[in-house]
Amino acid sequence: MSRAYLTFKYAFIAVWASFVAGPFVWALTTSFKDANGVQGGATYLPWVDYKPTTRGWQDIFGGEGGVNVIQPFLNSLQITVLASAISLVLGSLAAYGLSRYTYRIGRMKNADIVFFFVSQRIMPPIVLVIPFFFLLQFAGLLDSIPGLVIVTVALLLPIAVWVMVDFFNNIPREIDEMAMLDGCHPFAAFVRTILPNSLPGITVAAMFCAVFGWNDFFFAFRLTFTEVQTLPQAVVALNSSIPPWWTLSAASLFGISPLVLLAVWVERYLSRGNLAGAVR
Amino acid sequence: MTKHRRAKLAAALAVSALAVTACSAGGGGSGASKPDKPAKFAPGSDISYTKYGSNYPSTTVKDVPGPCSYESISKKDYSGRTLRVISHAVPVMGEPTQLHAKQFAELTGAKVDVVNVPFGELYQKILTPLQAGQPAYDVMFYPSLWIGDMAPYLAPVPQKYLDTAQMKDVTKAYMQVATWNGKVVQYPVDGDRHYLKVRSDIIDSPKWQAAYKAATGKTLEVPKTWEEYQQIAQFFSGKDWSGSGKLNYGSAEVTKRDDLMFSAFISRAAAYAKNPNVKTGFFFDVDTMKPEINNPGFVRALTDFVKAKSTWPPGGANFGLGDEIFSFGGGQTLMSYSWDDAFIQAQQPDSKIRNEVEAAQLPGATQVWNRDTNQWDTPASINQVPYFTWGWTSAVAKDSKQQTMAFDFLCFFSNDANTALDLTIGRFGINPYRNAHFDAAFWEKQGWSKQTAETYVKTLSDMEKSPNRVFDLRVPGVNQYMSSLANGVADAISGQKQPQQALDDVAKEWNDITTQVGKDKVQAAYRNVVALENG
Amino acid sequence: MDGMRRYKSMFLLPGLLTLFIIIIFPLLFTIRVSFSGWNVSNPHMDFIGGANFVRMLADHRFWASILRLILLAGGTVLIEYVLGFALALMVWRNVRGQRVWRVLFLVPMMTTPVVMAAIWQTIFNESLGPVNDLLGRVGLPTVQWLTSTGPATVALMTVEIWQWTPFMFLLLLAGLLSLSKEPFMAAAIDGAGPVRTFFKVTFPLMAPVSVTALIIRLIEASKMSDSVYVLTSGGPGSSTETPGYYLYIRGLKEQQTGYAGSLSLTYLVLMIVTLTIVSRLLVRTLKTRTG
Repeated sequence: MSRAYLTFKYAFIAVWASFVAGPFVWALTTSFKDANGVQGGATYLPWVDYKPTTRGWQDIFGGEGGVNVIQPFLNSLQITVLASAISLVLGSLAAYGLSRYTYRIGRMKNADIVFFFVSQRIMPPIVLVIPFFFLLQFAGLLDSIPGLVIVTVALLLPIAVWVMVDFFNNIPREIDEMAMLDGCHPFAAFVRTILPNSLPGITVAAMFCAVFGWNDFFFAFRLTFTEVQTLPQAVVALNSSIPPWWTLSAASLFGISPLVLLAVWVERYLSRGNLAGAVR
Repeated sequence: MTKHRRAKLAAALAVSALAVTACSAGGGGSGASKPDKPAKFAPGSDISYTKYGSNYPSTTVKDVPGPCSYESISKKDYSGRTLRVISHAVPVMGEPTQLHAKQFAELTGAKVDVVNVPFGELYQKILTPLQAGQPAYDVMFYPSLWIGDMAPYLAPVPQKYLDTAQMKDVTKAYMQVATWNGKVVQYPVDGDRHYLKVRSDIIDSPKWQAAYKAATGKTLEVPKTWEEYQQIAQFFSGKDWSGSGKLNYGSAEVTKRDDLMFSAFISRAAAYAKNPNVKTGFFFDVDTMKPEINNPGFVRALTDFVKAKSTWPPGGANFGLGDEIFSFGGGQTLMSYSWDDAFIQAQQPDSKIRNEVEAAQLPGATQVWNRDTNQWDTPASINQVPYFTWGWTSAVAKDSKQQTMAFDFLCFFSNDANTALDLTIGRFGINPYRNAHFDAAFWEKQGWSKQTAETYVKTLSDMEKSPNRVFDLRVPGVNQYMSSLANGVADAISGQKQPQQALDDVAKEWNDITTQVGKDKVQAAYRNVVALENG
Repeated sequence: MDGMRRYKSMFLLPGLLTLFIIIIFPLLFTIRVSFSGWNVSNPHMDFIGGANFVRMLADHRFWASILRLILLAGGTVLIEYVLGFALALMVWRNVRGQRVWRVLFLVPMMTTPVVMAAIWQTIFNESLGPVNDLLGRVGLPTVQWLTSTGPATVALMTVEIWQWTPFMFLLLLAGLLSLSKEPFMAAAIDGAGPVRTFFKVTFPLMAPVSVTALIIRLIEASKMSDSVYVLTSGGPGSSTETPGYYLYIRGLKEQQTGYAGSLSLTYLVLMIVTLTIVSRLLVRTLKTRTG
């Protein structure tokens, strides 16, 4: 590699890294401001440009604003974990079926069925939300965690199927055939031999499920009243006509922290090369 | 089996008997409520918010005796019951809701669940469950102009609350705002209007008065017409008159399309299009329901609005209410007109421009459009039209099973002690709506200068006296009308359309909306608004 | 192998049925409601024929938003692809601090879009935000980020690119890591330089991953609306309105459920057709190039 290319490469990486980190740094510094640190124009350095205060951080844990992010955090965690787990189970079963058997439903073949799954993501959320409201009302599940889990599964299942089909397609059929020749029941073959070989694929699928489940605001917001509040809702509840930038920043940073840990975890798989086949 | 059931029945009877005796003994409590418990507050105790957070002002007020006082409410026992409340995002209206919910829970033992929602989402969040017949909230805080859509789902305020001293002190205009077809269905908790706010330190400074005279040949004073407003704003734009080393600007206005820009436009249009001699409506001709939104009065206002662009600070064409408050309250702009919030923000104890601001009526116009004669009238004095912009209100759902507790919460929320404290906290968004609040001495006690306090109180109370005024379009489907209006105004400001064309298109859409919602329904509702407009 | 057949429906059906049950009612509901005059003061399923569709034909805001989306989503996804590919190549191998860069480059896609949009709004705030402040410090003129059409579009695209380039990056990096070494060795023996190797070996080998990544991102980008809502609320005028946001205004903000139903249905059909064509084209082009 030439020197010029190397310089260019590290410059590019540095520029992009600052672009990525910029908003986080800005949110971090803003979270320690108060009205006087915001109103006069942009300020950056605590103690130099403005007088730092921890008010924003106090406020999100049940301080004066009456906002507390702890319960919403736990709700989001439950919903995300449950919905991801259900989607992964249903999704990998369906994906395995689609990669191993030939289906025909009316005129739909395998590829069309996969497209049916994926096409659910094309639906604008607004098409779904009002009918979902009536569905959950009918089932008595409005404003409840089970209700939100069901809805979230509808959003996550397509992603799980999409990731897993590609993945299973890359696992040689010989593996399952061998297991079945040994007298394994197809489900047993799937659980004992295929799944252990699919951890990287499951990791990717789980990550996508976690990301989209955790970050859903649209549905959680409209299908709950007072009992169940998720974390994005708690953050958005701070976006008032006088937005307290400091509290908003503190709440945002708190809200995204769990998924940053997820990024570290995913990267570990990536570096080991385990994710290799997952997206082919 | 039978024995068991009989025992249960006996127990139930015993419980209800107890409840009945409690009722007759305690008096005032409704059928289902538990016996009163001892009060936690002595009559007339000192009330302050300091125990709820170190940032609350240290002001102390006296608990005023009455059915809604700390003392009376603390006697109620609502333990084991839950009150579900929806309110605006924190802090505006959301923070006082949270605070008073916490206090109410401590006093009565009730569980109070509050959910906070951004402004743009509140409408659907409240209306979707109401329309689906899903009881979601007992108490709702929302902008009062939605009354036309909300009224069918609201429980009228019971007489015993209407008879309280604190309710009787609410000004006539705000009682009217709370009333729908002769019934009080909204519980007043806030009073709002648009008025003009200026930096008195600059307007009164001889140095700037001389400079202004030299540049324009006119005397610098608080603008009385929109023309003067524009001229002053223009002169002070792009100059560092605050001495901060940064440029300052003339005017901060709410201009973000899907924020509250429609209210800013109505403020600008009121003086041009509300003729005291035309008594058949501001937005429509109420007899035919023909939209008036594209008449020359409104077009003139929109032309002004577009011209004002040059006096706005950077980003001024996308200002939400929060930006306007930061811009004026933070000392960046000379003038602004909208709700009380920016003014109260400027008057916070830690504000850099405290007591350097004053309030005045919205600018007027020397000419006003007369649609009966199809020409501009030139009244003897300037046509000045107050705009009773929507404010926050509260209501109890008709299908709520906790109505007594809900109304007790609202009466506690707005009791004299709470209101006095809430008024002084700018970010709460609670503004004067009772006669007692129009008292300069009260504001001077909060550390306001005499000039600031007096102009503020006078501006507010004068509005109540005017017989020629504008209210919001309080009809079913109001959000559609206002969304269409905001879209047209935004098209003109961005230069996509000429003002006349933009408003013609709005008028066309308004006709469609009227047809969709039902002409009779809108017309009946608008007749009530027209009655308000003419005092 | 016959034993397997019996179980084949048991693999697919649980997932398929779950999705079908959850999705079919909303779809039928939307079709039905699009022929009704359901709105805030008349929340009933009456029948008004095709009136909503007639109204839609003359709705310039709707059609303009669709055209805008094609440019906005298409442009954004293309830029994300190029940037994501470049970044993936750069941290693929032979780089210092590899793991730090990889984690950092992944993080934005993990964040909540509505929440980040609120942060971005403070960043682009024209008088209080850091972007204009920094421009001013280096002597450049300030920009009307949220109040004039061009810059507002740039601001929106910036936010989308910040959030979703990591998605491309992840898929493409995983793809690169799975490539076998032989084709590269062969190219090296032929004496191909880095540029030639990229176009003759890397790019063609990456075609399948590229197609998947592009299509998934197009699907997600077509729903773009959170960032529009928070940053510009469609302005100035209606010059940054996307269909997702416009549907939201009509359907939820104004509660015109019936009319929004007909808009959504039309939009859904248009998107399915467009995305099908685009994906067929992508597959064909990239496959032919792969030879």
